[in-house]
Amino acid sequence: MASNQPATEQNTKRHKVEGPKKHIVAFIFSILLTFIAFATVISGEINKDFIYIILLGTAVLQVFVQMAFWMHMKDRGHKYALIGILSGVFVVFTCVIMAEYWVWW
Amino acid sequence: MSAHTHVEGQLPHEPEKATLEGRNKVLGFWLFLGGETVLFGTLFAAFLALRHQVLDGPTANHLFDLKLVAYATAILLTSSLTSVFAIQAMHQQKVKSLINWLIVTVLLGLGFLGLEIYEFVHYVHEGHGFTTSAFSSSFYTLVGFHGAHVLFGILWITLLIIQLMRKGLTVVTAPKVYVAGMYWHFIDVVWVFIFTVVYLMGKVV
Repeated sequence: MASNQPATEQNTKRHKVEGPKKHIVAFIFSILLTFIAFATVISGEINKDFIYIILLGTAVLQVFVQMAFWMHMKDRGHKYALIGILSGVFVVFTCVIMAEYWVWW
Repeated sequence: MSAHTHVEGQLPHEPEKATLEGRNKVLGFWLFLGGETVLFGTLFAAFLALRHQVLDGPTANHLFDLKLVAYATAILLTSSLTSVFAIQAMHQQKVKSLINWLIVTVLLGLGFLGLEIYEFVHYVHEGHGFTTSAFSSSFYTLVGFHGAHVLFGILWITLLIIQLMRKGLTVVTAPKVYVAGMYWHFIDVVWVFIFTVVYLMGKVV
């Protein structure tokens, strides 16, 4: 469960206050990924399967940016958080594959 | 507001993780987000299965306006950044700046919600009601559920702002702000998949 270390250890531990720079970079990266996704669809001349791959790729990358940097998942002590989210994602994958490939068999 | 900030000693650097209750709150919220993932995932699965069943109603390609979606996406992404700034202000114990960033986040959330309401009204005028087709029902359920989450987030963060003004930043209020920030990012993550799967894929014919 959540690490049960006393609050004093948190106090004495040297803590570097992070600046906004990293988050602005993450934000620009998100905007860029969004732009790529929109531009791919608007240009419209490319092969359909290729568009789907780019769209899913940019979406997954963007989720990674949000989770790792903005939800602090890259920081230590997020093992159970990761297990919780991944079990959710597993169920979602099962449902989506079922809906995409089995419903209109 | 400053008259009510706590006086007894200094706050720890990460006040949201200073108490066991705070740490458990954050962990519990991650597990809740896992459940939310399943909720939205099943709605996405239903939409994916039904998106071509339009009957006499308009198709996705005919209906969607990518410009509007791009505005909504920009607003929500920016609000995600402002909520990050709020958490950073909290870590530096700048209560005033924390409250201001939260207010900006709420305003951007309201802007997003306004765009979505405008969009839905526009669609209904185009003959795309909730009961028009399986496509329209699954569309409104999925996107509407996300909109309801945005509305809930706005109300939640507004209440937190009031509480911060009255009680200041303490080891009790800090985990609440942190968890609300996580919720807001999660809403943004869900929106990333909505604009990809619903809007952009709907435009690919």
